[in-house]
Amino acid sequence: MELNLPFLEKTFFLALRGVPVSLEITVLSLLFAVIPAYYMALARLYRVRIVSPVISVFISLVRGTPMVVQILIVYSLLPSLINGIAAAAGSSFNVFNAHPVLYAVIVFTIHSSVVLSEVLRASITTVDRGQLDAAYALGMTRSQAFRLVIMPQALREAVPNLGTLTVDLFKETSLSFLMTVQDITAIAKIEASYGYNYIEAYIDIFIIYLAVCSLVQLVFYAAEKIMSKKPVG
Amino acid sequence: MRPFDFSYILRYVCALVPFIGRTLQVTVLSVVCGTVLGALLAWARLSRFRPARALSAVYVHVIRCTPSIVLLFIVYYGVPKLLELAVGIRAGYNGKLLYVAVTLSLLFAASMCELFRSAYGAVDTGQKDAAFCCGFTPFQTAVLIIIPQAAAAAVPVFCNEVIALLKQGALAFTIGYIDLMGQTDVIIARNYGAHGLETYIALALIYWLLSLAVGAASAAFERRTLRGKSVPGRNDSEWN
Repeated sequence: MELNLPFLEKTFFLALRGVPVSLEITVLSLLFAVIPAYYMALARLYRVRIVSPVISVFISLVRGTPMVVQILIVYSLLPSLINGIAAAAGSSFNVFNAHPVLYAVIVFTIHSSVVLSEVLRASITTVDRGQLDAAYALGMTRSQAFRLVIMPQALREAVPNLGTLTVDLFKETSLSFLMTVQDITAIAKIEASYGYNYIEAYIDIFIIYLAVCSLVQLVFYAAEKIMSKKPVG
Repeated sequence: MRPFDFSYILRYVCALVPFIGRTLQVTVLSVVCGTVLGALLAWARLSRFRPARALSAVYVHVIRCTPSIVLLFIVYYGVPKLLELAVGIRAGYNGKLLYVAVTLSLLFAASMCELFRSAYGAVDTGQKDAAFCCGFTPFQTAVLIIIPQAAAAAVPVFCNEVIALLKQGALAFTIGYIDLMGQTDVIIARNYGAHGLETYIALALIYWLLSLAVGAASAAFERRTLRGKSVPGRNDSEWN
């Protein structure tokens, strides 16, 4: 009962090829989440009638159910839905040719827009309300005030939480093997299945995730340092 | 594809309800063990002994960087191997509850360490000095002064972490532990893959209700402890 070191080493380099896939899913999901998250946060802050309660229920639903369940629901719902829409629109798009990364990005965008909206909402409330009044007094419109006065200050507060969010999201992309995405976990698991070398494979995945997440944390830590030095404005 | 049928959701909710116990069993066990381990880690982190501080910090960092599913498999495949190497016990892969509970406890301990640390830091050091001046022993200071104030700040975060743990527990199906999620897979397999979506929605509803229940408990506690107090940093209402 010893570790199979040659396998460990070989699989490590194979699994490294999954890193860009996992990063791609993380970055794309975060980017696509920015706009919905921003408007969800604003709708909740301003308690927009009807919209705000609906968003609250949605947020509570996404935050109250496990990621695996969300993946399985979306993965069993989306293909036929997309197929139906494509058929109705008369396009010849065949859903079975769709890249699995597409589904992963959709699932993780939904998830991260909810988490991001909570982060943004919390960070906006740390900005003094007087800032908004001052911006109005200068004749700014509400969107100008948010873009130029409120958000720069709010984002600075949000940096540590954004770091946590990114790391958590990157970790959760390890579940995208459920959608047949060839990410770090999937590659290593497939290699392991030939000779039942699961412990070695999971050690590889563990090392890769540890390295990448540490790096991401360092980046955000540096960003936090830089942002806290520079005065906003 | 079969047409979507709402009546199946209710049917599968009823079929899954008996398995809530197995999910809660793992969750409660992990919350208890994880809290104890987390308290030890926080104690190490706040101690003056440098290696203990470093060890605790490294532990928290490593756990924060590990996906739960990876930790689960490392525990599931690694612990039996370690036991066999160290004490010659052949643990086998039975007793899946234990492997899941060990994994979740390890995860929960890291969050608890951070929670205890920040809760301890949230109490003004003047409180400790004042207690000292009043002639309190360190034990009295901890039990009567620090812990009640720290708990008020910590309970909402604690409840959030419990919800997160509950959700991570859903991964236990990957090693074949039959809890809510595991039973969902069994039901779908028995139906030869039919009504998968309805079954998953039923499962999501149950998890949602469980999370809402923990959230409601947290809110009730907050109302009790924060009665008549204004909390700095909670100026949501100002933004309307």
